[in-house]
Amino acid sequence: MDDKKRAQFKKVLREIKNLPTLPGIVAKLGKMAENPDTTTEQMGRVISKDHILASKLLRLVNSAFYGFPQRISSLNSAIILLGFNVIKSLIISASIFEVMEAQDVELWEHSLGCAVACNVLARHLGVKDPEEISTAGLIHDIGKVAIKMELPKEYEMITALSQEKNISRLEAEREILGLDHAEVGSWLARSWNLPDKLVEPITCHHEPQLAREEPMACAIVHFGNILIRGLGYGHAGDIWVPPLNSKAWKLLALAPADIDPLLHEIEEKLWEVKGFSLDIQSGQEGEA
Amino acid sequence: MPRILIAGNDSLIMPECRHLLEAKGYTLKYCTNLPEALGQVLEDPPDLLVTEKGFSGKNDEVELIQAVKTCLQKANIPIFLVVDEIQLQVELDWDHYPVDDIITRSFIPEILLARIRLAESRMARAFDNNPLSRLPGNTSIIRAIQRVLREADGYAVCYVDIDNFKPYNDRYGFSRGDEVILMVARVVANVVAELARKGSFVGHIGGDDFVFIVREEMVEPVCQKILTNFDLVRNMFLSAEDIAMGEFVGRDRQNHETRFGLLSLSIAAVTTGGGRYSHYGEVSSAASQLKHCVKKLDGSNYLVDRRNT
Repeated sequence: MDDKKRAQFKKVLREIKNLPTLPGIVAKLGKMAENPDTTTEQMGRVISKDHILASKLLRLVNSAFYGFPQRISSLNSAIILLGFNVIKSLIISASIFEVMEAQDVELWEHSLGCAVACNVLARHLGVKDPEEISTAGLIHDIGKVAIKMELPKEYEMITALSQEKNISRLEAEREILGLDHAEVGSWLARSWNLPDKLVEPITCHHEPQLAREEPMACAIVHFGNILIRGLGYGHAGDIWVPPLNSKAWKLLALAPADIDPLLHEIEEKLWEVKGFSLDIQSGQEGEA
Repeated sequence: MPRILIAGNDSLIMPECRHLLEAKGYTLKYCTNLPEALGQVLEDPPDLLVTEKGFSGKNDEVELIQAVKTCLQKANIPIFLVVDEIQLQVELDWDHYPVDDIITRSFIPEILLARIRLAESRMARAFDNNPLSRLPGNTSIIRAIQRVLREADGYAVCYVDIDNFKPYNDRYGFSRGDEVILMVARVVANVVAELARKGSFVGHIGGDDFVFIVREEMVEPVCQKILTNFDLVRNMFLSAEDIAMGEFVGRDRQNHETRFGLLSLSIAAVTTGGGRYSHYGEVSSAASQLKHCVKKLDGSNYLVDRRNT
């Protein structure tokens, strides 16, 4: 990989301004915002199901202007601190996909599914901030969205290479771009001033052994990603289930007997999410 | 009755302007030279000042403008500078002319009136805002309390303060303390805006003290929601080890090592229905008694004073 090209991709990806959201979600939130009886919490519940809006909300609350740089890792807190009017503006200003492709919906479903899996894992393991870990799970693949938006040609090449050579998307990204979506997501999250609690799981979701500050959160997002890929909910751009890192597995200290009940619980929770997903895709209004 | 000081030549304000402003309830005071104008500003400051470039001697207007703007108590008085368009061809140094607005000659009376109204509303919006939270400060708070005391409907004037804020500051540093103050300002302002928009008010007394006013029937849901939201957000501002301990060790005012609870909020709410108070001072002294009781309770709490109902 030549360094010049890599630097060029880096530059393009770093300058990214606005990531588009699924039109169904923006339409739903737009309707909610017009209804005077809608509460901030109801809007928050919908936003916490979308990896793009969730990232934007966290970016906003952690910006120097709002006064809490690198402080806020929970979506609930972000919503409380920003308030209804700011959230309404965020929704009105949200850009939507001009052309929505199946892969955008599938990546969204994968992200949402990963958030569900992380939440179930975090609660099972009794970690103290399960909501923040599901948020990390929700936005772990934000780098993929950035690559698709800013480097559409390379994005197609990555897809083709991964199919042709039967390799993972991650490997194909490294071959084509000289960098991967975890690295891209990591710069984005860092440039948005997100706290380590969120940045590190994005950075290390394929290499949880590199975690310094938040090894548990990284291990959970790593394994949550594997579980949701295994369950086949949504689609993350290739057909492979990523390899499980042994260090992360040790840290999680799960017994093989734990897995079945966990999978069962995740699948149960995915039912609700599936209903929401159908609702969004059919463009119908429903109760949040 | 708002008073406007006109410092300039006789021709500065044309008769038709004067008639319109007087008809709208403004009192106009004219000064044609600097000493007279300065005396007026010093002894009986106007609500608004209109002056012009070079009105009696060279740079007299600068002297006058500086006299108003360099005095903390008067810095909020809006100043209008009347200029000829040709004077703007040489770009003016606005640091040298710290005025609030300019009007170019010649202008119709309605323009002057509109600018004056706008300056008044801008001042009401912003002049005493707290630099950290951007919430209105004490003058606005007093005005808001007096307003609800005059109204027939019952309101609750609620005093908020952060428990254990001083030891938090000592432990985490001032800049982290500022973040917590900003956090409380946002939590309070957002809850009030969402649940009790009508007739409500939020102000920042200073430090970790805030006031909000809502209609009496909304006081319980608003207080509950503020405390719930505060408790949800609070952990973002505490270290993992302090959260795990559930308290932190600091020094009290006598420098003794003491254990402090983690951050919490206390709200003392005084209801104003039935004309029981006539002055804001009575409200604040009732609140400080009540606050004493709330502060004794553990964690985040609110108390509503309905003693006289």
